Amino acid sequence: MLLLLPLAIPILGAGIVLMFRNPRVATRAALLLGGLEIAALGALIWQVHVRGELQAGRYLRADGLSAFFLMGIAFISSLVLVYASGYLRHMGEGRFTSPRWFYALVFIFLFTMISVCLSANLGLLWIMMEGTTLASALLVGFYNTEGAVEAGWKYLIVCTVGIAFALFGTIVLYLAAVKAGLSPDMALDWLSLMNAAPGAALDPHLLKLAFVFVIVGYGTKIGFVPMHSWLPDAHTEAPTPISALLSAVLLNCAMYALMRYDAVVSRAVGPAFPHTLLLIFGVMSMVVAGLLILVQRNLKRMMAYSSIEHMGIIAIGLGLGGPLGLFGALLHTFNHSVAKSLLFFSAGNIRHSLGTLRIDGINGMSRTLPQTSAALLVGSLAITGLPPFSLFISEFAILSEAFTQQRYLVVIPFLIVLSVVFGGFAYHLFGMLCGDPVRHPENARLIPSEYIVMGIAAFCLLLFGARIPYFFGLLLQEAMAVLR
Amino acid sequence: MKITVDILQVLILILGAPLVSGIIARMKARLQRRQGASVWRPYAELAKLFRKEDLVPPTASAVFRLAPMLLFGATVCVAAFVPVMHASALLASSGDFFLLVYLLALGRFFLSLGALDGGSAFGGMGASREALVSSLAEAPFLLGLVAVAILASRADLAGIVAWTLQQSIFNISAVHILAFTSLAMVSLAETGRMPVDNPTTHLELTMIHEGMVLEYSGPSLALIEWASAIKLHAMLALLIGLFGPWGMASGDTVWGFAVALLLYCAKAGILMVLLSVIEGAVAKMRMYLVPEFLGVASAVSALAVIFTMLAKR
Amino acid sequence: MDLVGIATGKILSSFSVFLFLTILLLAVARRISTSVLLFSLQSAVITAEVLATAFQEKLAEAYVVGALVLVIKVLAVPRAFFLLADKLKTVRDVKASTTPTQSVFIAAAMIYLSYAAVHSYGQAMHVPDDALAAAVSLILTGAFLMVSRKKALMQMLGLLVLENGIFLAALITTFGMPLVIEIGIFFDILIGLLLMGIFTFRISDTFDHLDVSKLRRLRG
Repeated sequence: MLLLLPLAIPILGAGIVLMFRNPRVATRAALLLGGLEIAALGALIWQVHVRGELQAGRYLRADGLSAFFLMGIAFISSLVLVYASGYLRHMGEGRFTSPRWFYALVFIFLFTMISVCLSANLGLLWIMMEGTTLASALLVGFYNTEGAVEAGWKYLIVCTVGIAFALFGTIVLYLAAVKAGLSPDMALDWLSLMNAAPGAALDPHLLKLAFVFVIVGYGTKIGFVPMHSWLPDAHTEAPTPISALLSAVLLNCAMYALMRYDAVVSRAVGPAFPHTLLLIFGVMSMVVAGLLILVQRNLKRMMAYSSIEHMGIIAIGLGLGGPLGLFGALLHTFNHSVAKSLLFFSAGNIRHSLGTLRIDGINGMSRTLPQTSAALLVGSLAITGLPPFSLFISEFAILSEAFTQQRYLVVIPFLIVLSVVFGGFAYHLFGMLCGDPVRHPENARLIPSEYIVMGIAAFCLLLFGARIPYFFGLLLQEAMAVLR
Repeated sequence: MKITVDILQVLILILGAPLVSGIIARMKARLQRRQGASVWRPYAELAKLFRKEDLVPPTASAVFRLAPMLLFGATVCVAAFVPVMHASALLASSGDFFLLVYLLALGRFFLSLGALDGGSAFGGMGASREALVSSLAEAPFLLGLVAVAILASRADLAGIVAWTLQQSIFNISAVHILAFTSLAMVSLAETGRMPVDNPTTHLELTMIHEGMVLEYSGPSLALIEWASAIKLHAMLALLIGLFGPWGMASGDTVWGFAVALLLYCAKAGILMVLLSVIEGAVAKMRMYLVPEFLGVASAVSALAVIFTMLAKR
Repeated sequence: MDLVGIATGKILSSFSVFLFLTILLLAVARRISTSVLLFSLQSAVITAEVLATAFQEKLAEAYVVGALVLVIKVLAVPRAFFLLADKLKTVRDVKASTTPTQSVFIAAAMIYLSYAAVHSYGQAMHVPDDALAAAVSLILTGAFLMVSRKKALMQMLGLLVLENGIFLAALITTFGMPLVIEIGIFFDILIGLLLMGIFTFRISDTFDHLDVSKLRRLRG
């Protein structure tokens, strides 16, 4: 029952929100429903923590890993929903660009992402991952401008092709499971696969083939280089709250799916093969994205490439394995979400105050938009991994694991890219913050929905940098236990 | 008995050729909702032409006068290779499918020379276009035949037909389907039918085969027209024999041969209907698209050859 | 009833030939309508394969899947494509970036490649080489269509051919997955097509053409 509630609320909520034509009423209804959803998720997470795992029927299960990711989803979506309520006041009126459509689509999107985290069956997981692509495509193309339509089309096509490859990988895994003796209904059930894996029953060739296709397929959704071509466009052209949802939540969901497959395959054929692939993709993503950050001219595009880089870091953490590697990777998913949301929120403010996102078109922001500049500064310092912010902790954990395992081929590019990215961000940021203001914003005041949300995010970054809250730490440990 | 039947096969191919042209023309007319001329009209045409006088351009040499006869002779030899009623032919033991392809090429070569010798501009243009089409058509023609020959492990046509006869009709073979597709495309190019060439056009700039024969008249023209009709008939019989020979007589009885002849007429009828429909449905391709058409045929026949190695059929 | 048995056996052993034919013809097709018809034919061949497998392996679920393929991929999707092409008033040309000759040689090379690729797996899984090679060539052809055709509608078609290939591969090796999963996959594909249709409308509205190679504003 508890598992069905977080799934039912968004779906019904989407329908309910569509019924209100008045934008204000729709927004309030959406916030209310969002609050209900967060409460349901919170209750679910607490139950999982208390009772271990929960199962409903054959297809839904919540264990420690699901709870951890659901917590991230809940936190970020609450921030985004609040921010969006204020952001939408800038949105023009169109037939399909009204707040009620926005919130309805957001709720459907949330439904698909939560189902990804709650699927017990890898086939259902695939269906829902494809669902996230479909649900967010209309959101990416929400503004109907030339750039938005192009970005939405590219996103739809590239991600659908990628997911088709992941389907092939899932089918090969199903084949291996059925050949090993699992009954067809249970052959894609994650828990049954984890139990069947240790023996030599699952054919190693088939599993390796499956994993290759899965990492290419779900890697497209995560944004690994070279399948990342859709990501900068989609995250730039989407409305800012959606960019935050895409960067902070969707990429994490895709990483969650990959983690599930990695667990099964590592248990069956040993960690060497899947982890090597993860390391290769991780390092490639870091290096390419990190270098491309230097030449960006659009603020949101730069942040999108930063997301690719951080997904690479998470993949490296996952690929290193070991106690610190896994810890760092999981912690980084959360830290990155918070920092990236903060960055996108400030970008949204810049967009609406100054009317542009071109880096060279913005100057002297520290004088004209002091609060936004502060948020941008905090977010950038955090995202480049400086202490005392939380990303430093997770990146340091991953790095120490790499040193412990003496993987210098990973360490050296990692460190170089971090420095390069810091340099890039610093260069762009000083250009924007200092100097004489070229444009003067029409209205520089932030409304409460905006600055409260940004404040919470910044506070979170500092808090987690100092000390990980106790409950969070417990959830993290439980998530790690699931994957071992 | 065998020799009699073989000679009969050649006669059927030669004497039935104008009838085939007539039937196709009539079917096309009917498809276009016209009455169409009688199916026996080509015979009347040939008779008329044989009664007339041969007019030769003053600048022409002996090549002009000899070309129609050489073309006719080569085409009759081709007709002597193709099995109709049973899996053997008059000249079957004298050569294999390479000889067939190059006999056709020989006839075409002399026709082109004759056209060039005629001295008219359209003759030259038709000859050069014909050279392009036939050089491109040679590859898929040979490859298609090679693919089928590899499967049959025989090179002579009669042997291939005999092998095909022994296969079950229900075993669908990828090689055969691909080879049939490419050979059908090649037949359209070789016999000068739509969409490669329009045999009924009166616009000289669109002519390929017709352009070459513009200068001919009288018996020479009759021989050339008859030779092209025999070529069409022989290609039809070749396609039937290579890809659908079931029903051919295996024994020596008159009854068996009669049945084989009837079945042959039925199969030829089907192919003629198909040809009429295709001719009526598509427009003639522009000249620069013909190499693409034949390129597709080449790729399909190359794939057929590759398939003989991959699929064990 | 033995006739049905013979027919089933023949279908199972030789359907891949017809799939190869459709692949070659798709490579040379010059009009969108021709390509859509070829896709419909392809799906019909696959339906026959599904039904033949259902008959031979006596799986009730496979009949349902076969019916789904028939209704959705043979009838509904091509009809939707034709409606879409009509509404968009687009030029009928496929806008290929390779000539037909090059395309058909590439298609032939892909068929050969897929045979080479499945050789080792086919023997391990006791599955006829032809069928698996047909599935892999469908996947490669779908990818090739998406890359070489510059019309948005053709990219959608390429995606559909790709999904056909994956579906066929699943069918041959596992005789179908649990019904719920299959239905979910179909549903996803349908909604995906719906969204792509919506997007082609938007592209046509915003840009006044459907040539995706001209969508190059966002770069770098």
